[in-house]
Formats: sequence, structure tokens, C-alpha cells
Amino acid sequence: MTDLAIDIRGVTKRYDEHVAVRNLSLRVPRGAVYGLLGPNGAGKTSTIRMMLNIMAPDEGTITLFGQKHTDKGVLDRVGYLPEERGLYKKMKVRDVLTFLAELKGVPGADATKRIDTWMERMSLKTSDKDWGDAKVDELSRGMQQKVQFIGTLLHDPELVILDEPFSGLDPINAQALVDTVVELKTRGKTVIFSTHIMDNAERLCDDICIIASGEKVLDGSVSDVKAAHAGRTVAVAFDGAPGLAVDAVLADPSLVARMDDQKRFLEVELAAGASSGELLQRLVAAGASLQRFERVQPSLHRIFLEKVGATGVEAGMSGHG
Amino acid sequence: MDKLKAIIRREYLERVRTKWFVIATLLGPVMFLAITVLPVLFVSKTKASPASANITIIDATGVALGDRVVNELKDTSGVQTLVSVVASSEIAAAESLATATIMTEQRQGYLILDSTTLEGTKARYTGRNTSTVPDMKRVGDAVKAAVLGLRLEKEGISAARIDSLTKVDMRLEKTQLSAKGRERSGVGTSVVGLAMSFLLYIVLLLYGQTVLRSVIEEKATRVAEVVISSVRPEILMAGKIIGIGGVALTQLAVWIGSSVWIGANVAPMLMRKAGAGGGTGDVASGARSTEFMASLPSFSIGYVVAILLFFVLGYIFYSCLYAAVGSTVNSESEAQQAATPVAMLLVVSAVFIQPVALAPASTLSSVMSMLPFSAPIMMPMRMSMISVPAWQVAVSLTSMTLACLAAIWFSARIYRVGLLMYGKRPTIRELLKWLKYS
Repeated sequence: MTDLAIDIRGVTKRYDEHVAVRNLSLRVPRGAVYGLLGPNGAGKTSTIRMMLNIMAPDEGTITLFGQKHTDKGVLDRVGYLPEERGLYKKMKVRDVLTFLAELKGVPGADATKRIDTWMERMSLKTSDKDWGDAKVDELSRGMQQKVQFIGTLLHDPELVILDEPFSGLDPINAQALVDTVVELKTRGKTVIFSTHIMDNAERLCDDICIIASGEKVLDGSVSDVKAAHAGRTVAVAFDGAPGLAVDAVLADPSLVARMDDQKRFLEVELAAGASSGELLQRLVAAGASLQRFERVQPSLHRIFLEKVGATGVEAGMSGHG
Repeated sequence: MDKLKAIIRREYLERVRTKWFVIATLLGPVMFLAITVLPVLFVSKTKASPASANITIIDATGVALGDRVVNELKDTSGVQTLVSVVASSEIAAAESLATATIMTEQRQGYLILDSTTLEGTKARYTGRNTSTVPDMKRVGDAVKAAVLGLRLEKEGISAARIDSLTKVDMRLEKTQLSAKGRERSGVGTSVVGLAMSFLLYIVLLLYGQTVLRSVIEEKATRVAEVVISSVRPEILMAGKIIGIGGVALTQLAVWIGSSVWIGANVAPMLMRKAGAGGGTGDVASGARSTEFMASLPSFSIGYVVAILLFFVLGYIFYSCLYAAVGSTVNSESEAQQAATPVAMLLVVSAVFIQPVALAPASTLSSVMSMLPFSAPIMMPMRMSMISVPAWQVAVSLTSMTLACLAAIWFSARIYRVGLLMYGKRPTIRELLKWLKYS
């Protein structure tokens, strides 16, 4: 019994024209909520597909729960929500879910009970209306997403892999997803999700891995990652609009390396050699009326941009997911 | 194994439950009835109508040939045939009179008998029913018999003798001799053989395309990715082909089963009714229907097994190819074009159905029934018509089995890669590359 849910070592996947994943190694502890972060085309979906044995890696090994992921029955312990969602449109909701459960080795009779529980929980089955007998294409998009989500979790998987789970979700369904992820974690399940929305990752993840252009940029627990990048960032907020003199201070490249407007405050990254004290003195001297001046840990968003760089994001826009 | 079963069950039940399937399955036997019974009904309808005796005979022969014709018409329905004896010079006047009776619909037509009729070269008929073949045959036969009778009488043969001498009602009874010594005659075996090959062609095309659409649906709705995260793509493909094949077999079984039942019970009854329907020539047409029914080949167990075997192999071959095509396209509109090569194989086979049916023992027929792509359509047809040499059946089955194995190998590889590829359709070169992917 290993304490790793996923152990990926030296995995490489090549397509004809380009390398999707290059010598990637990942370790996901059991019970963790793990974020696979990266711009579009970074190789997130390719990595996930290899975990699920949908594609075979050209090099490297993948181990799930200490077993080869191609071993019989291993993938029955995994739930997968692909980025592009879809269900059999002409089938009844209950039949689709039963089918998905059977594909994971859940016997039909067992599946029926679980489906009822989940449908009630997702309010697809109420005292007024049971959507289970409706055909999939009679459901709204939001309801279809719920059905798909139920399909992912119906066999009570130990490892749940969600590829861009938040894309296309309305705020209510997004919150339901967050709640479910938290609940899965408290029940000791491992959750991996890929996203390029850093806010979600920061709120939910214990550990993250940032990949770009198929390579790992950094990984570790969110707190470690943030601590490693702390000390260089200051949150600044003013009473009223800052004057021109203040703007000039913030634009000084010897003092400020990068600045990010977070609406209620400015996230300022100090330039090499500059100190927060120096910045504070200069701001006060420029007549700024400070509401907040605080050394903070940078947001994941900040770290992501710093590590991947704007160019990485641009380059990744057109490739595979 | 349970997963494969789940896929098979889904593919099978989701299709069998559709209205389309139920309707098509129930209508099949009705169509069979139409194909097999109608021609026979038409055969029995080739009796002249009683009204065809309702004519004016303008007799300008001077030897009362008109009365003889009336006798030869042997009318029992009570229709009065009018004979007007005229001189040659009065024919035109009589014609215009007779024309008036046709216009007022008192008479069907008029027949002119003159010296040329006596010479045995011609008689003229004008009327409303000239395009009704049985009517014309009846009138023509009567004139012929009357002229013949007249001539024989001139030779001094008595009327009674003439009757018995000219009475010839000949039917050609056809019996085919096969190596096994089975006796079956032409019409029935052809009909069944043709019907069988068309049925196989239609079912192969129909269900091959069902596989195609099913693959595209899974790909387009992106369900495929969820499914193959649980089972290998090969299992999904196999389950799909087996499940849809089950639907095809169900339909085929209902069609063939009910058709055989109809052929054995309902059809003869209908034909007896039609035969007893009235008019002249009951006995002859009744005999024809009976002869047709007797000529239908008996469905031996061996023959049914052979049909099934050929169908299953043919279905595997075509459905694999269709599955491969389906995995390379993104939409149904693209699919029609991409599937053309596969459909061509089937259509080419169908084009040869008639030539093979006309000469089931020819070299062309032998070759067509041994080529893997046309064998499932041609061989069952030939087997129902002639006794095909055992080695040909063996070659046919072997070539089809090999073709199926090749199709499975090829399609599984294309399918596995194609299912996750979206966007531009692959070129032939890219497809060849896919075959090499691990």
C-alpha cells in the first residue's frame, strides 16, 4: 500500500508535429486535491488521457495506487470527467447513468440505488419531477452537466480526475462542484483537476503542478509554492485616487518589477535589490494616502504568470488541450 | 466481460426499442408477401375478361367463319357476340356502324374477317381493349382455331374429330436436376434466391451504416472519451458491432421466419382464392399457382445455417470498415463521402445480383461468390438456385474469414486513434501512420 494515488515517472508523449508531454514526473498523494495548472496546449489533457490509459505514453511509467494503470480493474477505481462533455442524447438519463456505472463494474441493481441518491442530491429528482425518465436532450445544459458529473462519481471512485471542470458551469453549478470536491476530500478521496483558472486552484488545491509546453515548471504544496515566492510581493491600497507622483513611484523599474491591479488593491512585486521599506518611504514621500501596505504571499495567478510568462500563454493558445 | 455485455446490451436495446425498428420489422413480411404472392396473382390474372366476347364480328368471308369464331370463344358468361355477315364491299359501312357501338360503350370492339383471314394471314380487330394481352390472345386464338377448323372440315374431318384433334392444352413442367438429386423448378428458386440476396444486401448496407452513425454519434457527442476511459476502444468497437449485429439478426430472423410462415400458410390460401375468383381458365391458373408454390425451395437446416454464416461474416467485414470510417470523420455529412468506398463494394455486389441470378453456374457467378466483399450476397443466392460445388463454398468462407480478420485488425487500429482526433479529416498517408501507432 503506497501513499501515492498517482506516480508518474518520466512520461513523454509525441505527436507527429510536436511533443505534447516531455519527461514529466508527478506524484499525487492519496487524499489530496491536486491541481494540474497550465495554459491551453500545455499538455494537461494529454497527461490526463495517459493516466486513464486512453493514450499510451511513448516513454515513462504510470502507476495508480501502486499498480500499473493498465492492470485489470485499476481504472474502475477512477472517475473521469472529460473537458468536452457529452452523453447519449437519445437515451433516458437513468439508462445512461446505469450504463456508465456498468462500465465501471457496478452491477445494474446496485447502480439504481446510487443513481436515485445522487439524483436527489443534485435536485434532478424532486417530489414534483423525476428527470431520470427524460431523455438526455430534453435536459438543459446545466442539468446535463450534473448528469455527467453524477456519471463520474457513481461508482464511488478513489481517484477523481476532472479535466477543466469549471468550464461552462454557471455559478450555482460551479459552487456545487466545489462543494462536492471538498466533500470528496473529507471522505479521503483523491481529486485531480486541470484548470487554467488560478482562483479555483488556489481555493481548492492542496498541491499543484504547473506545466507549460509539455514540461513541468514547478510543483509542490500550495503553501510551499507560495512561501517560496513570498517576500517579494506587497499589497498596496490607497484612499482615493493616487496622484501622478505616486504613479511615478510605482512605475520606477528599479523599485517595482511587476504590478497587478487586483481592483481593491495593487499586487506589487519588488524589483531585485529593492526592499519593501524603501517602497513605503518613496510612496509616503510622494504624498500617498495609504489604506493598506502589507507584505503578502503572491497569488497563484501571480506565480503562474511569473513562471509561465505571457509568451507561454500566447504560444499555448493554438495547440492541443 | 461484463463491460462488453453492458455495451452490447445498450447498443441492442436502444435500437430494438425504437419505433423505426418495430415498424420496419413488422412491415418486412408484408413486403415479402407482396414480392412473392403478387407475381403469382398476376399470373392468375392473365385470364381474358368475359367482356372480351362482347364484340361485333363483321364477317365478309362468305363461309360463316364468324359463327365458328363465336363457337371458339366458348363463352359461358352469357355475353352475346354479334355476328353481322356482309359482303366485302360493305365492310366500310359495317365498320362505321360498329364503331358507333364502341363509342356508346355497348361493345368492346369489332373484328373483321375477310378473305385474308381465310388465307390464314390476318384478321383485323378494333376496340377499347387492344392493349389487354389476355383479351387479344383469346380473340386471336378463337380466330385461329376457327380457320383451322374450317380447313380440317374441308379435308373431310368431322366436327367432333376436329375438337378432339385440336384440343391441346400444354404446360411445360420444369424440374431442375441437381447433384444431390433434389428436384426444384425454376421460378420459385429464382424468386427466393433473388429475394434472399436483396435482403442480405439491404441488411448489410442498413446495419453497416447503423454502425457508422453510432460511431459518429459517440465521437460527436464526446461520449467516446468517457467510455474508453473505462474500457479499451477495441472492446467498445466489438460491443458495438456485436450489439448492432444482434439487432440485424433479430430483424432478419423475424423477416425470414414470418416470410416462411406466410409462404407456407397464407400465400397458398390467397392464391387459391385468386384461382377460384372466377372467369375462364380457373383450372390452368390454379395449377400454375400450385406449381409455383411447389417450386419454392425447401428451407433445409443446412441452408439456413449457411445463410446465417455468410451474413455474419459479411456483416463483420462491412461493419468493421464502417466503424473505421466513422472514427475518422466529425459529422454525418462528412461520413457519407468518406464511406463511399465501402458503400461501393456493396453496390458493385448488388449490381451483379441479376447477372448472377440469370446464370448462377457461370464463371462470373463463381468468382463473385468467392470474392470476400460480394460473397455474402452472391453465395446464398447461388446456393438456393443450384448446387454449388463444396470447394467453392469452402473457398468463399475462407476468403471471407481472412477478409474479416484483416478488417478487424485494420479497423481496430484506425478506430482507436481516430476516436480522439477532431478537426481535419486524415489523409491516406496519415491513416497508414495510425496503423503503426502502439
